[in-house]
Order: sequence, then structure tokens, then C-alpha cells
Amino acid sequence: MEIEKILKERFGFSTFRPGQKEVIEQVMGGNDVIALLPTGMGKSLCYQLPGYIFNQPVLIISPLLSLMQDQVDQMKQFKEKRVVALNSFMNPEQKKQTIYHLEQYRFIFISPEMLIQPQVQQKLNTLPLALIVVDEAHCISQWGFDFRPDYLKIGELFGNHRPPILALSATATSKVLKDIEVYLNMSQPYKYIHSVDRPNIHLAKYSFLEKEDKLDWILRHVLETEGPGIIYTQSRSKTESISELLLQHGIAAASYHGGKDQLDRQFIQQQYIDDSLDWIVATNAFGMGVHKPNVRQIIHETIPGNMANYMQEIGRAGRDGKDAVAILLYAERDEEFAKFVGIDDLPNDHHIELYETYQLRQEPPNQMIQNGEISETSFRVLQYWMTQKSANEVKELFQTMKYEKMHEVDEVMKLVKTECCMREILVQYFGQELETKPTNCCTSCGLTLENLLLPRQQKDHVVEETPWQKRVAKILGIS
Amino acid sequence: MIFRQILLQIFHKFKQERTISAPFHLLRGKRSGQTIQDVGIFQLHMYFGILPKLSRKTYDEEISKLIEEQYMTVSDEGYYILTAKAKEMNQTVDLPFNGWQYRGNEHLFFARLSLVIQSLSHKAYNQMSFLPIQKDPQVQEWVRKFLISHHYQERDLQQQLYEEIIVSLEQAPIEQHAKVIVMKRLTGYKIAGYTWQQLSIYENKSEMDIQFIYIACLHAWLNGITDKESQFPLLAAIAEQVRVAMPLSGSAYQTAQLFQQGYSIEQISQYRKLKRSTIEDHIVEIAMNNPRFDIRSFITEEEIHQVVNAVDDYNTRKLKILHEVMPNLSYFQIRLVLARGETV
Ligand SMILES: [Zn+2]
Repeated sequence: MEIEKILKERFGFSTFRPGQKEVIEQVMGGNDVIALLPTGMGKSLCYQLPGYIFNQPVLIISPLLSLMQDQVDQMKQFKEKRVVALNSFMNPEQKKQTIYHLEQYRFIFISPEMLIQPQVQQKLNTLPLALIVVDEAHCISQWGFDFRPDYLKIGELFGNHRPPILALSATATSKVLKDIEVYLNMSQPYKYIHSVDRPNIHLAKYSFLEKEDKLDWILRHVLETEGPGIIYTQSRSKTESISELLLQHGIAAASYHGGKDQLDRQFIQQQYIDDSLDWIVATNAFGMGVHKPNVRQIIHETIPGNMANYMQEIGRAGRDGKDAVAILLYAERDEEFAKFVGIDDLPNDHHIELYETYQLRQEPPNQMIQNGEISETSFRVLQYWMTQKSANEVKELFQTMKYEKMHEVDEVMKLVKTECCMREILVQYFGQELETKPTNCCTSCGLTLENLLLPRQQKDHVVEETPWQKRVAKILGIS
Repeated sequence: MIFRQILLQIFHKFKQERTISAPFHLLRGKRSGQTIQDVGIFQLHMYFGILPKLSRKTYDEEISKLIEEQYMTVSDEGYYILTAKAKEMNQTVDLPFNGWQYRGNEHLFFARLSLVIQSLSHKAYNQMSFLPIQKDPQVQEWVRKFLISHHYQERDLQQQLYEEIIVSLEQAPIEQHAKVIVMKRLTGYKIAGYTWQQLSIYENKSEMDIQFIYIACLHAWLNGITDKESQFPLLAAIAEQVRVAMPLSGSAYQTAQLFQQGYSIEQISQYRKLKRSTIEDHIVEIAMNNPRFDIRSFITEEEIHQVVNAVDDYNTRKLKILHEVMPNLSYFQIRLVLARGETV
């Protein structure tokens, strides 16, 4: 079966994007593969296309529930009926039914929590899986920014008689890459590593003495230059206050964070994609699953917690290949806040002692969550390690992780403080070499924003004043 | 502003006989004996469960403001006293809430409606694939079945739905702005909905006020739809099981069934392995919900009058005081009479 033919008929493309063909051929040849492909480069095609050749189920393990739901919706949109997501969104009855009929599906998306449940395991053992895909594979690494303990169990679960594993990620350092290979028990995997450099994204940075000065700068910049853009910040309340500031100045902006009403989040995405919103002010929750090719600017209101996050966030600009800018703002002592945020969700000594107290009292330690003594994410990590190591070892481990996280912030600070090329530092961090530099490369190499950004075009702020009856008529196509 | 008005109105109706926490449980629709009884005693049906997700933090902040601005004082035990300023303020909230009968289910109605409309919108513009605006698989499944059973492919379902919406929503007794808010939360082909933040700017009201107006509008609209099901068959189908017919908690419902079969409180308590007081709570809840429920198997006609008179004489509905005045009656008997809201 010719894979180009399927590409054309199923997906409507006449050529592969870089990396796709190599990865698919290796997977088809029964090899384990690690593929580092930037977001928006067609990661999902690497397992979807083989799915149509194998005619046996493909299992996709993904930790991001809403992203999973999104992918399933999108595949259904492309007329794929045999796709299902097995996750905690389901009620027990639906779950039971889905597991029972699991062999009917071509693509099975599953969360790591669900994967380790015995009844799921039992069923999976009876299925002739063609391929196991581990999406967001960097989550397996305790050094990664998004460690998921359940991911560590994936390797053990499938034993020796397993189909090939395809590990996918957008960003991973060489250290994380090694972890992926070891913990997934991969045998001499084929590695495809796409260059992390995005030459059409130009890197700027500005330093300020006072935090308030950054807000003045953002407001002036947004009033003068053309979007669309995303402003990333670290707290939910900041997204609200900055978006309000922009709105007061007549800019079509919206705030976005994980705590927002579910419908609101979709309205914002929809409005942003059809260009009725120019600026999104967001925590790092925004971006996953949002496919907007013409984002021209990414502004970091404060420094992100690590390089991987920074890379992922600026990577949402310029997907159309045209020029875009990523602007990193820094005010004195911003790194302190970034460090605080970074280690805030790590369990501390007190949590470990508390965990032991619960065990001594023969109470389930997860009561700590209900009693408000620990967050759910922290508990997940704590529980995993407490079943693996002694309390003292765990204390030591978290201490190491804490330093590691703080060190990650220092790595980002290098970008801020350096007088060398920012692009070079970024690319080297991911263990690669920079081959060429674009013009207007970065602030250190020399860059003029005016050459890259258009002046803002004052649009008429359209406020729909039609009576509600007309809106319903318009939506339902009634003339 | 609306939140404050609602709180003051609830505090006013509670006649200073409950703690400052009582409105919180009422607004969240807590299904405990005490809150359910209070709904009947103080006639608070409209506000029950209109904010199922209200956080304690948001609530406490609003209460602190009321205290700061001298609308009320609070005692150490948590009881409150309204000041003259609060009593003077016009407390009528002009929004037609019907919390008792919808209990947050209005959101289910809107979820189904918005997905039906999004689907029909895409159909009208010949776009057969789109990302569903509602992510809940149960809502998606419900809407899929609804569309198929109404043969949406073969007929002009959108025209009929359009007409039903126009007629029923025009009849809803609430101002036009409220209807605009609800309709702006809909989405369609190349037409996105408006966020609460956006609506708050356009209407020049706080996000919370916008949401109150939205909920009240859905209640008023749903009242009309469910009262005249035959006139609005599509909308009535979408509102399926949204209105609570016999609003009883699950456990109270089981008690009600056993009681109807002739079992005594004692027997039900043994059979269900629940405390007697729990079963009594259920009976009170049943008495409050069902006007035809005869409480005279627990208390004589004469005793009912005794309670009603005492409430009037002492101008109180506090159980403790009433029990002191009538030690011959149990708390349960007094609560039964109060639950009926009977007056002299
Ligand atoms: Zn450079």
C-alpha cells in the first residue's frame, strides 16, 4: 500500500511535512520511534496514517484531557467514526460500554490514569494493538516540566510482547530524551529530531526597573502595533487585570485561563480564530489545540518557568511561515516570582511527614486533598514516590527537584541577561546547533520591531446592536 | 449590585432567625433537611439553588462588604441583625427566578439548546462538520438522538425551532436586555458567542449580575415552555426533565414511597437502617413539597392551631422558643406545621 496515496485520499495532502515520512516508515517497519516535532507540524499524522494501513487498533496515551477530546472531535469531523477517548469525563456506564466494545475502534485515546486500571489492562491484553503512541512523552521525565508519575508505568505495563512504541513530543532536552528511551523500555529507537529553531520567529527582550513599567510598555505597544497576539502571564488575576486595561483602551482583547467558564473558553478561541479578537491575555493554559496560523506576536509579561515552556509558547506564533515576534519582558526580581511559582506545586517536607502520619493512623493519605492540605497534582507526585522510596529518600529527591526547577528559571534568565545571540542560547539548550541566523534575529544581534510588525489598524469596534430576534434568525440561516 | 439585593432580600425574609451562612446554603441549593424546610417556612422558593457553584470565598467577600457598609451586624454565634439602612433600602429584586423548580438544570437546557442550534446553523449553511461547542459527552449524545428522532436531515427543523423560540421568548415576562444576553450566549456557523466579560462591558454591569439576569431569563422562558408544551413541542423536548416535578431528594423520595405503602416512621427507619430523625427530616420535606400530604397522622388539628397561634403570639419561627412554649409537642411536630407555612 502506498503511503502517498493514503495521504492524498484520507488527508487531502499531496506531500509530507518534514519528518512525517521517515517516522511513518520506521513505525511501519515495526521499530520503536522517538519523534520530536514542533507543534503544528503534523504530529498526529504520524500515527493516524499508519492506523489506516494496519487495520488493527492504535492506542494513543495522552495526559491532556481537553486536548484529547479536541483531537477526537477533529477526527470525527474528518469522518472517522471509529475513534474514542477513554478518560475520566465518562460516567461509569459509558466507560463500561466503551471498554466492552473496545476492539471496534481504530483509534483509542486514553489517559494514563485510565490506562493503569485493571479492567482496562485486562481488555487491552486481549486486543491486537498495532501501535502504542505516547503523546507528550516528555511527561515521563521527572526532570521535565510536566512530570506525570503514571507515565513511568507505561513501560512496565506492556512487557516484552508489545507492538512498536511511537513517543511524540514537541520539546525535549537530551536528558529528557534519554529518560523517554529508558522508561519506555524502547529497543534502539529510531530518533527523528526536528530543529527547534523557528527562523521566522524573531526574538526580542526588554528590561525594566519596575513591574508597573512593563504594563505601560505593553499598553503602548499594543496600541501601536498590529496583532493578532498572545500575552502570557503567570497568574489568573493578572490575565483579568491586563485584559481589562486593554479593553478600556478599545482593544479587542480577552482573558483566558483554566478557571474560566467552559463555554467562554470556546467563544474566545472561536473569536480569536475568526479574527474578531486581536489579543488574548492568558496563562499557559491557552494555546493547546488552538490552530491559528497568523499569530504575529507573543509577549511574555514575565519570564516563564523554564525553556521548554518558553519554546512551546513562542512556537504558537507564525505558523503560516511569515514573520512573527516573541517579546520577553523582564523587571528586576521577576526570577524570584518565577521560582516561587515553579516550586509551589512540589510537595515539601511537611507534606511528606503528613503523608506518613496518615499512614500511621491507617487513614488513606489521599484524605490530604479533601482536607485541603495539598493540591491534587502535588499529591499525585508525592504518592508515586512514597510507594517507591523511603521518606528520607523522597525528601532528598524533592529537594533535588526543587533546585532543578530553580535552575530552570536561571536558564531562562540567561536569555534575559545575555549579550550573545538569544536564538543560539535557545537552540543550544535543546542540544542542537544553530546553522544560520535570519535577519532581525534577536535583540542581541540587532532587531527593529518596525521592520517586522505592521502599525495597528484602527478597526471599527463592532458592537452588535441588532435585536435578539435577528441574531437567532442569522444563526439559523432564516432570511 | 443584584447579588447584594438578593442577599439583603433573603436576610430580610429569614427574619434574623438564621445565621449568616443560611443564604449561602440556600443559594447553592443544599439538600439538607434544614435548608429545605427553610425554603417552605420563609417562602424562599425562588432563590433555592440558583448558584450551585457559588464559592464560600465569593460569598464571604460579599458579606464582608455588607458589614463594612453597615447594612448588618453579626454576632459571635453567627446571627445577624439588619440595620435601618438595610431595611430602608428597596429590597425587591425584579427578576423572575424559579430556583426551586429548576435547581441549576436550566444550564442543562441551555447546553442542549446551544448544541442543537449550532448543529442546525451549520446545516443551514451546508456545513456538515464542526467542533461541538458542548463538550459533555452526555449532552452530545442527547442532542444527536434529538436531531435524528426529529429527522433534521429531511425537514426544515430550523424554521420550526426559530418560530418556537421567537414566540415563547417574546412571551417571557422579563426585559429585552435579558433576552439579548441569553441569545448572545448562542453560537453558530461563523458566529461566535459572547463571553461573560464581553457582555459585562456591553451591558455595563458586573459579570455576576449578567449571570443572574441570564439565569432569571432562562427560568422565565422555561416556565412558559413547560406550561404550554403542546404549543412549543421542540423546546419542550429540549427542556425534558429540566423542571423538577416533585422536588425531593433521592433519599426522601424512597421514604415517601414507603410511607405511601403504609409503613410507619419506626418501620421505615428500621428497614432503611437510617436514624429516626433522618426519616422525620424526609417527612417534613415531603409535607413541604406536596400540599396534599396530610400531616394530621402526626399531629392533631387542635395542636396545629396551637402552633400557628404561638408563631403569631411570639412573632417567631425559632424552633427552640416554640418548643419551650409547647413542651407537649415534639420538634418534629412543630416543624411539620411550620413546613406547611400555615398562618392564622
Ligand atoms: Zn540572534
